[in-house]
Amino acid sequence: MEMLISIPILILIPMLASFLIMSPMFTNNEISVRRFTKSICSIHLLYSVLLLIMFNPEHPYISKISFFGFDWIESLGVQFIFKLDSISMILTLLTSFIFLLAAISSKIHIRKNPKFYYSMLLLLMSAVLGIFTANDMFVFFMFWELEIVPAYFLIGGNFSLEWTSEAKKSAVKFVLFTFFGSMIMLLGILLLHYYNYFSTQILSASFDSISAGGLPFAIQLFISICFIIGFGVKLPIIPLHSWLPDAHTNAPTPVSMVLSGILLKTGAYGILRFNYQMMHDAFILIAPILVVFALINIIYTAFVAFAQTDIKRIVAYSSISNMGLILLGLCAFNKLGLNASVFHMVAHALITSGLFMICGIIYVRCKTRDINSLGGIATKMPNLFGFATLIILASVGIPLFAPFISEILTIISAMFSEMGMITKAVSILSLPLLVLSSCYMLKFLHCAFMGDQQDKFSKINDISVHEFIVLGAILVWLVVLGIFPSILLGVI
Amino acid sequence: MINDLFNIMLPQICMGVFILINLLSAMFISPKHYGYARLISLTGISLSIVLLSTVQTEPQYFGFRNSVMSDSYTLLFSFVILTCGFFIALLTKNLLFKIKQNAFTFQALLLTAILGAINVVSANDFLTLFVSIEMLSFPTYFLIASAKGYHSKEAAFKYLITSAVSTGVFLFGVSYLYGITSTLNFMTIYKFVSDNDISLLYSFACVMTITGLISKLAIFPFANWVIDVYKGCESSVLAFLSTIPALALFGIVCRLFVFPLSSSFELVFATALFAIITAFWANTYAIREKNVKAIFACSSASNTAYMLLVASLVSVYNLSTVIFYLICYVILNITVFGFLNMTECNNIGNNLEDFSGLFKYNHGLTVAYAIAILGLAGLPITSGFVAKIYLFTAIANSGLIFVPFLLILLLLMVFALFYYLKLILPLFETNQPDDNKLVLKTVYSQKVVVLICTLITIIVGIYPEILIRLCKFIAYNI
Repeated sequence: MEMLISIPILILIPMLASFLIMSPMFTNNEISVRRFTKSICSIHLLYSVLLLIMFNPEHPYISKISFFGFDWIESLGVQFIFKLDSISMILTLLTSFIFLLAAISSKIHIRKNPKFYYSMLLLLMSAVLGIFTANDMFVFFMFWELEIVPAYFLIGGNFSLEWTSEAKKSAVKFVLFTFFGSMIMLLGILLLHYYNYFSTQILSASFDSISAGGLPFAIQLFISICFIIGFGVKLPIIPLHSWLPDAHTNAPTPVSMVLSGILLKTGAYGILRFNYQMMHDAFILIAPILVVFALINIIYTAFVAFAQTDIKRIVAYSSISNMGLILLGLCAFNKLGLNASVFHMVAHALITSGLFMICGIIYVRCKTRDINSLGGIATKMPNLFGFATLIILASVGIPLFAPFISEILTIISAMFSEMGMITKAVSILSLPLLVLSSCYMLKFLHCAFMGDQQDKFSKINDISVHEFIVLGAILVWLVVLGIFPSILLGVI
Repeated sequence: MINDLFNIMLPQICMGVFILINLLSAMFISPKHYGYARLISLTGISLSIVLLSTVQTEPQYFGFRNSVMSDSYTLLFSFVILTCGFFIALLTKNLLFKIKQNAFTFQALLLTAILGAINVVSANDFLTLFVSIEMLSFPTYFLIASAKGYHSKEAAFKYLITSAVSTGVFLFGVSYLYGITSTLNFMTIYKFVSDNDISLLYSFACVMTITGLISKLAIFPFANWVIDVYKGCESSVLAFLSTIPALALFGIVCRLFVFPLSSSFELVFATALFAIITAFWANTYAIREKNVKAIFACSSASNTAYMLLVASLVSVYNLSTVIFYLICYVILNITVFGFLNMTECNNIGNNLEDFSGLFKYNHGLTVAYAIAILGLAGLPITSGFVAKIYLFTAIANSGLIFVPFLLILLLLMVFALFYYLKLILPLFETNQPDDNKLVLKTVYSQKVVVLICTLITIIVGIYPEILIRLCKFIAYNI
């Protein structure tokens, strides 16, 4: 059993599967490629669950790869080290789960180039898993950059009915923003690597051996600002967010699910690992400023979301709003805040993939995403209406659902934070502002589903079995986590 | 003298013999058998690679009254230059078919240029260096002009003029150096500098010398030639132009930085400034460019600028990173121009839209090309990623003063990614009409070159440690 526990296997399963699909020998038949992808994702989920069963938070898994006895780049002290502690474990499970849902829901959306699409999806999966488990700055950065290539093709590629020439532009925008962020981050990593070597004389880039405490404070501050900008692009923090609505709107639905469900979380995870854990001296100084940005995230995007007419854009802006909440939890800088943030990462991933799924289902049936021309489809699609109502109610923070717990915990943690008055003020301010989310979400629900039945939608069908399974799985987890939050809260 | 010949000069002699064979064949063999020209070159280069094993390197060997030297550094550079020369000779088949009459002369010129490049790297005084550089650049004019049409002649003429001017600047600097130190030998200059205080005039001479040298790398004061020349060149000649002069001149510039010219702060400052300006110019220029070759011209200029910046911040560690980056960069460039060579054979133009939809019928080749471009952009899992990180650690380690430089370079990489994406994007276009015109007809040798270089790129990307160790060993033994 011990032999089975290896984090590289976790990353290699999707990567090898991706290369296998890409190889010319593999069939180009859409059904078999999709079934293969689904089975790979299921196996991966099972393997993650296996790891979870044997997981002991006191002793995180650590795996190390070396080639012929050498580390990866020994001259820089870079080692292929992976570590799976509680946070990584949770996010790994989440990644497996959301990618499985995305693969299942690709059925009705992906019409062209299935081989390329599924191989890129699996490659993206392995890159994200690498980000969540890497325990070395340069390995982390490698996966961070590796993620760009598949994400680019998934957003811009001509795979689905939704594809327009706008998609390519938004893919380029996504790549340039992300690459800008990662270059600033690379500056931080290089400086941290060098000054860590300078102060401790240990040539290493692993998270455990970096002790930022020995650095001059000004340099530490500079490096943390680099990291904040780098991860702030992915999170996104407000002035760096403009890639997100375009990318999420123009991508195929399963890709939108993955983007907002998992890829945004990598930004939050990066801030957690680098700023929160490694550079905490500087983070204490930065956190009150970041809190203000988090508040802007929450308020500004809520108003913008209310003004949108494209249902996918509403969901995209609501993601930014929710990521502000995650940032607020991190900036509270206490254990409760950390717990609440990770909990909200999971809850938001479930919510947002569910909502994008619903948008996709509506688009495939009604051929439009415009909120003004939709309406009255509830009578034709009662099951979808039921799911949509429940998921939207969950997203506005109704009790019994997971987001309720995480939102309340985040606000409480900010209120009891020792980071100064600003954090407390923001926590009090953001409490009524969460009501804003119900405004745009209920607008979505109302305009899309209710009203008089329209003739043009008289022939649409209700959701099929696989969509039922995906939405059902999301809903089950939302309820389970809402009723038993201690499943997640206990482990961190 | 005779001993020197046998101790360090055997590869060069071998090259010389094969140049003569090619020239004689040009006289006596009919142009119908033009294919033999490439065969002769390939044999000559591979024999030279074998003969590199006879070169004496430990300890450093100085021959011909200290005008030529040989150590592990020159050996590595000679090896890389010859290997690149081998790949380039493999790529010339199509060009030779077009210029049957001059096939043998063309190959003789190519070999001469490669021989010149090896001599540049192993020079130990400024006179030898000057002669070798002319030996490298003189055949280059004719290689550029070898393609049919007006553009290649224009390109060759532009290159000739810039080279002439830069050679003038170089000689001007060297004459000042001679005036100050009354010697041309690197070692003696180094000794003079370490014994005496250096003056501003000395720094001025150094800046002039280096400026003259780096102009062939398309660095700022003489950078404008690069776009026109690249546009006018055949792709196999481009594979030569973007690799061999870069290897040879970096080989000698790094050595000059490390010993004779090391102690001048003004030189470091001027070179770093030139590099930054070039990187900025090249990366911003390429954004609006529509011609693929022009984009690669900008890419070459910016990549050499990154390396030059690091090389100018003198330290042995930096030297190892530059060598590593250089090797990765030439391999990537040969892949790219190998692919362009194939498209050129199939009469595909040089504009971005001409490449659209190539992926559909040529999976392997386009993926190799895309991997090479991603490598130039510095994305994993290619050698470019490791090279980029390794190169930039050198700047980060050089002190806080250089952090703004590093920041500028990193932001320029974002610009660079934009135009690299412009190159990759059209390949994967799918809304093209179905026709078989896009199936590339390729020759065996082109495929081999692209395959080998892609394999090297990926292997070094996944497991760079051996190459890094080699580079470190070379750098610490200079």
